[in-house]
Amino acid sequence: MSDHVNTDAMPADGLAAMVRRGLDGTLRFVVPIGIAFAVGAVLLLAIGENPLETYSLMLSEAFSSQRRFAATLSAATPLLFTAVATAICFRTGVFNVGVDGAFILGGLAAATFGVMLPMSIGWWIIPLSIGAAMLVAAFWLWIPGVLLARLDVDEVVSTLMLNFVALGIAGFLVNGVLLSETSGNNTTETIHSTAELSRLVPPSTLHSGFLLGLACVFAYALWSSVTPAGFEARLVGLNKRFARAVGISIPSTIIVVMVISGLVAGLGGASHALGQVHKFSDGFSAGYGFTGMAVALLARNSALGIVFGAILFGALASAGTTIQLFSDIPLDIVNVIEGTVMIFAVVELGKLTLWRKGKRP
Amino acid sequence: MTLAAQILATTIILTTPILLAAIGGLVNRQGGIVNIALEAKMIAGAFIAIVVSSATGSWLLAVFASAALGGAIGYVFSLTITRANANMIIAGLGLNILVAGLLGFLLSRVYGTSGTLRLPDVHLLPKIFPESVSDVPLIGPVLAALDPLTLFAWLAVAALPFLLANTRLGLRLRAAGNAPQVVRSVGLREKSIQDFGTVFAGIFSGLAGAHLSLASIGLFNEGLSAGRGFIALAAFYFARNRPVGTALVCLFFGFLDASQIRLQTAGLPPKLIGTLPYLMVILGLCLAAWNTKRKLQA
Repeated sequence: MSDHVNTDAMPADGLAAMVRRGLDGTLRFVVPIGIAFAVGAVLLLAIGENPLETYSLMLSEAFSSQRRFAATLSAATPLLFTAVATAICFRTGVFNVGVDGAFILGGLAAATFGVMLPMSIGWWIIPLSIGAAMLVAAFWLWIPGVLLARLDVDEVVSTLMLNFVALGIAGFLVNGVLLSETSGNNTTETIHSTAELSRLVPPSTLHSGFLLGLACVFAYALWSSVTPAGFEARLVGLNKRFARAVGISIPSTIIVVMVISGLVAGLGGASHALGQVHKFSDGFSAGYGFTGMAVALLARNSALGIVFGAILFGALASAGTTIQLFSDIPLDIVNVIEGTVMIFAVVELGKLTLWRKGKRP
Repeated sequence: MTLAAQILATTIILTTPILLAAIGGLVNRQGGIVNIALEAKMIAGAFIAIVVSSATGSWLLAVFASAALGGAIGYVFSLTITRANANMIIAGLGLNILVAGLLGFLLSRVYGTSGTLRLPDVHLLPKIFPESVSDVPLIGPVLAALDPLTLFAWLAVAALPFLLANTRLGLRLRAAGNAPQVVRSVGLREKSIQDFGTVFAGIFSGLAGAHLSLASIGLFNEGLSAGRGFIALAAFYFARNRPVGTALVCLFFGFLDASQIRLQTAGLPPKLIGTLPYLMVILGLCLAAWNTKRKLQA
């Protein structure tokens, strides 16, 4: 039925409408961040720090040299994947909050393959490990996808709960069969050096996973704007009854986007395991699934917004670590900012929503 | 026999925080709001309980402070949902992250510690019966372990079916959840009723937090709630919002928690046992959905 829903069927936008939409998107990106930084500023004032000084220090810590910028991009890398994985579902109206679990299991699978596969297969070890990660994570999100599509089981609850199950399974495995014999508790062995993704600007940890992440964002942009499947998914997200009326299968769309979301999350986990940490240990995901959700919300599912959002949160994480070391400002301020951004990204603030009333997450 | 009694006593005590939070969450959900942020109010309640108990030397004031803080956070949270139309799931997840961040910030800047807060002169929850009661056969250890919050939680479970079914407020709350248009058409403000539900959930989660920190350990730790807010969510989802059913599910989760060490020595991996509540709720939802589907087809 895809020929019935050609993108040409969209109402033609005037230039004014395009500008307004662009402005709207920018405001919706900037305002929650502004509020979050204001909340952070109040907190900093309360402990007697100068917020402007702190923020400008963070800014320079995040961007002012090649080494620092590389560290920021390195911290942004997992978020590119998790944000895309979330956005794919959100724009389809599927409320998948289980990207974190899929990311974790993907990382576990990649690290396991990176350790267990024989060195003799050479560079093949990388695609095999990545493939395993993507399969595992896709299967993981296929479960709630099928449950939602076939039985109408609330995906919020199922994906939320599956995160904890994924954590439990991973914790069980890295303390059991996959436990390293040499490096203590809660961790696998380090992967073979041939399984490591290459570093882009040594000595920084920025690795080629970052490029994979950008490729994912790019593919997402193409999928959502020019492919029939992406357009159908958007229709399902905008209006299920209309989508059904024009012949789109809602159940199969749901399952497809959940599986794609899993593939992307798994790729992200593999990138993090093979490129960044080179093993899997407890605490593998520092809430990347949820930060990715904040990024997707800020970006209103737009590809460009995801890149900016991921770099913003990457900068916060990498600069936050440094200022904790040097000026005794707790890293927790990053969480305060992230939580506030999430809340204010979904709050309807007066005028902001007069232009477009959407009930999407 | 004493072993079984010991496990039972531990089960009862470990059930209390989950039960309190679940009671709050189920009332909230009957009013139409799914509260993902029980965890946030729980951990805030646990923190303030330690601070107030240490400062005043009174467990009762500490418990009230936890309830007040939980309720206050709940109220603000509710406003973002009912007045500013925030998506309740995202706002809830955001609040969990925000509160955890604020607490971490406070701990390291104000108390100069990371993760764990030990304060002097923390007064724990008292026991209801004198210690000699543990000589009573069978239920002795359980009676000896009872504290006021545990008693309160079970009294609430006993009273809740009546309160929800037969009082004006209970009926209005359920109406606000099931048919907000109807509530509005009879001239009631459904948003305020929903706010009440979220404040109620906040108060009970705050109490749950107070129990976590004041029942026996007497200190605060960032990981103290350990996902119990979500286990509470699993409990009332599994029991489909019925108070007594929810309490029984909580009791089972408490039992899993209590017997974890023994199950571990019996060779069962604790990490996998820990996933049981979450798997149960998914299974429960599937069965319920399956049933509805069959009925629709029949």
